[in-house]
Amino acid sequence: MESANELLTILPLIIIGAAGLFVMMLDAFTGSARLAYLATILFSAAALAVAVSDLFGPMGESFHGLITYGGTSSFGMVLVMTGTLFSVILSRDYLEKTGMHIAEVYSMILFAAFGMLLLVSSNNLVTLFLGIETMSISLYVLAGLVKNHKKSVEAALKYFLLGAFATGFLLYGIALLYGASGSTFLVDIAATEDKGMIYWAGVGLLLVGFFFKISAVPFHMWTPDVYQGAPTTITAFMATASKAAAFVAFILVLSRALPDARADWSDVIWLFALLTMVVGNILALVQDNVKRMLAYSSIAHAGYIMIGLAAGTDAAYSAVLFYLFAYTLMNIGAFGIVAYYEWHKGYDFTEVSNYSGLGFKQPIMGVLMSVFLFSMVGIPPFAGFIGKYRVFAAAVDEGLISLVIVGVLASAASVYYYLRVLVHLFMKESENGIVLSRPGTLYTASLLILAALTIFFGINPGVLTDLLGSFWTVQY
Amino acid sequence: MQQFLESFLPAGPLVVFVFSIIPLMIILVYALFAIWLERKVAGHIQDRLGPMHTGGWHGWSQTIADLVKMIQKEDIVPAKADRFLFKMAPFIAFAASYAAFVAIPFSSGYIGSMIDVGIFYIVAITSLLSVSIIMAGWASNNKWSLLGAMRTAAQTVSYEVPTVVTILSVIIVTGTLNLMEVTEMQTGNAFLGFLPNWLIFHSPFMVIAFVLFFIASLAEAHRVPFDLPESESELVGGYQTEYSGMRWGLFMLTEYADMLLLSLVGATLFFGGWNSPFGSFMDGPVWGAFWMLLKGMILVFVMMWLRWTLPRLRVDQLMNVCWKYLIPLSFVNLVLIALWEMIF
Amino acid sequence: MLEQYIPVLLLVALAVVTAMAFIVLSRLLGPQRPASNKLGAYESGMDPVGQARDRYSVSFYIIAMEFIVFDLEVIFIYPFAVRFQEFGAGTFWAMMLFIFILFLGLVYTLKKGSFDWTAVPLQDEQSQESSYKIS
Repeated sequence: MESANELLTILPLIIIGAAGLFVMMLDAFTGSARLAYLATILFSAAALAVAVSDLFGPMGESFHGLITYGGTSSFGMVLVMTGTLFSVILSRDYLEKTGMHIAEVYSMILFAAFGMLLLVSSNNLVTLFLGIETMSISLYVLAGLVKNHKKSVEAALKYFLLGAFATGFLLYGIALLYGASGSTFLVDIAATEDKGMIYWAGVGLLLVGFFFKISAVPFHMWTPDVYQGAPTTITAFMATASKAAAFVAFILVLSRALPDARADWSDVIWLFALLTMVVGNILALVQDNVKRMLAYSSIAHAGYIMIGLAAGTDAAYSAVLFYLFAYTLMNIGAFGIVAYYEWHKGYDFTEVSNYSGLGFKQPIMGVLMSVFLFSMVGIPPFAGFIGKYRVFAAAVDEGLISLVIVGVLASAASVYYYLRVLVHLFMKESENGIVLSRPGTLYTASLLILAALTIFFGINPGVLTDLLGSFWTVQY
Repeated sequence: MQQFLESFLPAGPLVVFVFSIIPLMIILVYALFAIWLERKVAGHIQDRLGPMHTGGWHGWSQTIADLVKMIQKEDIVPAKADRFLFKMAPFIAFAASYAAFVAIPFSSGYIGSMIDVGIFYIVAITSLLSVSIIMAGWASNNKWSLLGAMRTAAQTVSYEVPTVVTILSVIIVTGTLNLMEVTEMQTGNAFLGFLPNWLIFHSPFMVIAFVLFFIASLAEAHRVPFDLPESESELVGGYQTEYSGMRWGLFMLTEYADMLLLSLVGATLFFGGWNSPFGSFMDGPVWGAFWMLLKGMILVFVMMWLRWTLPRLRVDQLMNVCWKYLIPLSFVNLVLIALWEMIF
Repeated sequence: MLEQYIPVLLLVALAVVTAMAFIVLSRLLGPQRPASNKLGAYESGMDPVGQARDRYSVSFYIIAMEFIVFDLEVIFIYPFAVRFQEFGAGTFWAMMLFIFILFLGLVYTLKKGSFDWTAVPLQDEQSQESSYKIS
């Protein structure tokens, strides 16, 4: 039966969807968060394994062209599932310590992951919209998880209102593009001949919708508040999986629906990339709260990634995918350690000054934090450096030299705020006599794996870059 | 019917006009009759006689007298009420419940309008009722009204789900939403040679579907045992507390119209609509109207009968019945009917 | 196509006119003697206390949300029900999956006690908070 083969092409989606429902039922009947946690890990790992094996499988379309699989989509799935799996592993200890360990969290995470998987495998604007909405609605709930903490509620409400607004833009864009091209399939939009007012308005609104989801300046206002207010491991999930999914979908739309209009949207993205890098880095410099700092740093990273999008070549797209992978690894790691420090003193223990002298109390955590932060700066032996290098190189090939210069300067400036955390960790005296407990084995192990991957792909990027490069040699 | 009208009226807008006001006339006459009937049924079930004096024979003109009395009452709008909404609410309720009758086929020769999505239209327009109830309760600026309106709206929207799901399980069998076509499918005597070709005899699950539909429609029409909106012991008058005189009368007419509407829908979907129970005997457009109204009135009578038989539910029991029993059951029944249709 | 709905419009207009006529008649025939007692809110004969437009139980909002979910899902079943006999088994199983997921959602909300009206005390937010934590 051919429909059975079609179902195989979306196997990770099916696994995660079924897992979400299963965990929801576990919650309803047993109420046990431990069981839900175990089930979530098992299902996420299975989906990750399937997605990794799909990387080497065929590429194509299924479900009458609604879904695209293999290649970029599979890599998007790998990104999403990596983000999901590691944030779930880190979540348990953190949520247990802060008293918010309820089984619903895991089903919401799984539903959000389902939306992201749909987003990265969409070949049609309607599928894309479905994915974005499933993802966003679950994330709004997750942001407001700690409902007796004011910041969390504020984060959820802000995220919801602004997110709904941005969704409106996206939907208007889709509607106008449909009006201009008569279809919501990406390939049909690419074939539009009559590029009139409606077409350009549609493209513009679509870009605005995406800029919001990837938190590009000036649509970034929600990011710091939401990242600070949400529980830290949930923030890790939002910052990595959802952003990676949005970027992959952005690449799909740009490369498949709008390849002919590249000259036009490239200029727009050029401008927004510039703004995002400059504003993100400057605002990160003055943050005293580590979570806010990481939020602004994620805005800055979005800026670097957008350089690759502005270049818009196949090499640039594969560089962007690599960057997203490195970004996912190091961000989850950094947020994981913030979460670890946080569980000793509660939700507000995230000021930089709180970290004074903590580095030597649990050296392994201090060292891991340095690895992730150095990787974010973009210092050679780590994956973050390779990501930045490849994106900048692809942009230079396309002649975007001024943009790359700004990017390099911005990342030089970023050294200050990343190293400031390390200075507090290792070079200041501890003020409050806090005693750090030992993190769990799984917690440490997952952070170690993340750090190991960061270093491995920093030293040996060829494994991944060759694979990513091969995605773009095949034409659909 | 349309040809008959056209034979002595100038063709065009006037025919359409006369054609479409017939339901309104039927309902107004019916409402007067049904209110009298309710009193008589109530009386006789309790071993009383009910109204006996007004008009002579068994107090037949009691409701007309009541109507005249109501018209002479003072038209009161509370000082603190939201005047506009307060005045609008009865009109919306009245118009919505009466407009729904347009899609009901009263006989093989008469239907107000051949709307293709007939049953869908009826479901859609009757859901305006809960809007008018919320409007009335909110505008009154009275605690009883607001509480009653919230409860009534919660009840109405909750029971709308099982109603619609059972309607859908009939639609699975008929394959059309047009009630005229649904009725035409039920013409003749197919089952076992003598049973009429009605949908209730179609499969055992249709009987279950009808029972579910009838229970849900009792709640939709706010009849006992689901008449929480009128539970005077807790809520005084519910959303109608501040209404008096003719404005209250309009709500009353709406309730009775709603009862007939749901009974007629039930008769059309399950009991062959205007089809005669005796095959071609006593068949035809005029007899059709007779059978249709008779079937509707029998269901209305059962509703009145239940009122004096069953006690009222509590508000939490009301929600339990709907969400824990009726909705799952109606979905299961929908699946079973679809399976039955696939196999046979 | 749309002329099917002309009778609907006519009937609505006529219903409104009839209702208007009743009200106008009552205005003409009935007395008009407003008094402050008569125009006040009815509160079992006492003077009204405070405003009527107060906060009310969250259960009503939950019911409203559940209704929207189910009503929307039912809208998807309409086209299935009409064309089901022509499309056959594939459509049937697709719809079964759809209804199954919907059913799981219902089971979840039932288990979580969305419809247990008596179990949730109105003012007692603290106890709700603690019952929510699963240790």
